[in-house]
Amino acid sequence: MFESFDNVLGKVSTALAWFACALIPCMFIMIVTDVSIRTLGYRPPLFTSSVVEYALLYLAMCSAPWLVRERGHVVIEALVTVLPPGIRAALAKLVYLVCALVSFLFAYLCWGIFWAYVQGGELDVRGVDMPYWLQFLPLPLCFALIGLEFCIYLSGRRSYYSYDLGEVKDGV
Amino acid sequence: MLWYEAGALLLGCVVSGMALGFPVAFTFMITNVIGIFIFSGGWPVLPQIADNATALITSFTLSPIPMFILMGSLFFHTGLAIKVFDALDKLLGKIPGRLCFLTVIGGSLFSTLTGSTMANTAMLGSLMVPEMTRRGYSKKMSMGPILGTGGLAMIIPPSSLGVLLASIAQVDVGRLLIAGLLPGFLLAGLYAAMISFQLWRNPDSAPTYDVEPTSWGEKFYQIAVNILPMGLVVFMVIGFIVFGWATPSESASFGVVGVIILAMARRMLNWESFSTSLMGTIRVAGMVFFILMNSTVFSQLLSMSGASRGLVGWATGFDVPPILILTCMFLVLIMLGMFMDPVSMMLITVPIFYPLAATLGYDLIWFSLIVLMSLEMSATTPPFGLLLFIMMGMVRGTTLFEVAAAALPFLFCDLVLIIILIIAPGVALYLPGLMGT
Repeated sequence: MFESFDNVLGKVSTALAWFACALIPCMFIMIVTDVSIRTLGYRPPLFTSSVVEYALLYLAMCSAPWLVRERGHVVIEALVTVLPPGIRAALAKLVYLVCALVSFLFAYLCWGIFWAYVQGGELDVRGVDMPYWLQFLPLPLCFALIGLEFCIYLSGRRSYYSYDLGEVKDGV
Repeated sequence: MLWYEAGALLLGCVVSGMALGFPVAFTFMITNVIGIFIFSGGWPVLPQIADNATALITSFTLSPIPMFILMGSLFFHTGLAIKVFDALDKLLGKIPGRLCFLTVIGGSLFSTLTGSTMANTAMLGSLMVPEMTRRGYSKKMSMGPILGTGGLAMIIPPSSLGVLLASIAQVDVGRLLIAGLLPGFLLAGLYAAMISFQLWRNPDSAPTYDVEPTSWGEKFYQIAVNILPMGLVVFMVIGFIVFGWATPSESASFGVVGVIILAMARRMLNWESFSTSLMGTIRVAGMVFFILMNSTVFSQLLSMSGASRGLVGWATGFDVPPILILTCMFLVLIMLGMFMDPVSMMLITVPIFYPLAATLGYDLIWFSLIVLMSLEMSATTPPFGLLLFIMMGMVRGTTLFEVAAAALPFLFCDLVLIIILIIAPGVALYLPGLMGT
C-alpha cells in the first residue's frame, strides 16, 4: 500500500519535472522569435515577457518535488557528519518532520491566496494582463507534494543525506 | 528589538539551520515563518510570505540562468566540447606542461561558451585528468590548473552566478557580464604564468612527451571546423549584448540556439543528449530558483527588522578607510565559503554588503566583480569548496588536503587579480564604460 503510494508520488513528481523541462525550450523559442520579429522591424507579441516570467516560477515549483525525491536541494552536511550516528539519525528525522510541516503550511497558505484571487478576479499587470491566480496555481499542489516527499523520508524508506548512502554530496 | 539582536536572530536561524542539515531553501522558509511571527503581525501576515516569494522569481532578468546552464550541458552531452579540446590539443606543439596549458586555454574558451562553473570543472576534470595521469603528471599539476580554470566560468561571460548576483543586487546584468571579460582573460594569463613558474621549479611534475606532429593544413582544418564555429555562440551571446541587438536576458536564448545549430550541423544532437541536458538544467536551475524564492522574504525581513540599516550605519560609523571594510567583506565571504555554497552566500550577504558598498562610494559593477572573485575563491576553499568535491570525485584516492593544496597557487592568482582590480578598477570598468548609458 505504502510502496504503491510512493510509486504514484514518484510518477507525479517526475511528470512535473518533465513539464518543467519542457518549459525551457518553449522559453528560448519564444524569446528568439520575439527578438527576431523586433529586429525585422515588426511589432513583437506583447505576451512573451509575461509568459517567460511565469514560466520561471512554474520551472522552480514544478521541479521542486522531484528535486526533493532526487536529493537535489542543496544541503550542508559538513558539520552534521561529525555528530554521533544516533544523534545524526534523530536530527535527520527532525529535519524531515519540520520540512514536511513547513511545506504543508505553505501549501495551505498558497491555496488560500489562490482561491482568494480566483474569487476576486484580480489581474497581474505585466506585458499583458495575467490573472493573478495563475501565479499561484502550481504552488499549493507542489508544496503539498514536497511535504509528502519529506513524509516518505520520515517513514525511513529513504535518506536525504549522503553519509547514509556512502557518497560525497555536499555542494550545489 | 535592537538591530543587532534582530540581525543575530535572523542570520543565526539561517546559519544554524544550514549547520543542522536542513536543505538551504527550507532553512529560509522556516526562518521566514519565525521572522514574520517576531517582526510582523504573525499569523494574519503569514500569507504575505507566499505572495512576496513569487515576486522576484517572476522576473525576466533571471531567464538567462537556465539558458546558460543548458548551453554548458549541451556542449558537454553532445560532445562538442570534446571536439574543441581535440582541436586545441593538435594546435599545441611539444611544450613542457602542454596538458596544463591546454586546460587553461580550453577552459577559458569553454568559459565563454557556458555559464556554469560546475560544468566547466566537471568537463575539464573528466577530459584532462585521465590523460594527465597517463602521461605521468603529478597530482598537483593535474588538479591545480583544472580547479583554477574551472572557476573562470564564474567571471568570464556568460556567467550564471553573475546574472543571479546582478538580479539579487539589482545592478545592470549586461554591464556586469561584460565587466568580467578582461579580468577573466587576465586571470587565465596569471594561471598560465603560475603553471610556467611551477614547471620551472619542478620540471618532473609534468614530463614532456613526444607528440605526433600536425601539419599546417591539419591545424587550419581544426581551427576552421572545430574552433572558429564556436565564435558563433560567443557572438550570439556577447556580441548581441555589445551591439545592442538583444538584452543580456534575451541573448542567452540565442546562445542556446547557437549551440543547437552547431550540434545539428555536426550531427551530434539527438534526443538522448537533448533530454539529458534539459534534466541537468532543471536539476541546477530548479534548485537555485527554489532557494531564491524563499530567500527573497528573508532579505525583506532583514531590511524590515532594521538589521541591514543598523549594520551599515555601524560599519560606516568607524573612522577607518573604506578599503579596510572592503577587506573585511572579502574575508567574510571567504570564511562563509568554507562552509556554504555560493548561492546561499550571496543571498545572506548581498542585503548587507551592497548598501554598505554603495554608502562607501564603490562602483557596484566593480564591487560585484570583487564579490564574484571572492565566490570563485571560496569554491576552492576547504572544507566545503564545491569544486574540491568535484575534483575528489574525478581523481580516485585523493584526499581533500591534496586537492586543496593543488588549488592553493591558483587561489594566490585570484588574490593577485583582486589586488589589481583594487589598484586599477579600469580593468573591470573599461568595457562596461564603452557600452554607454
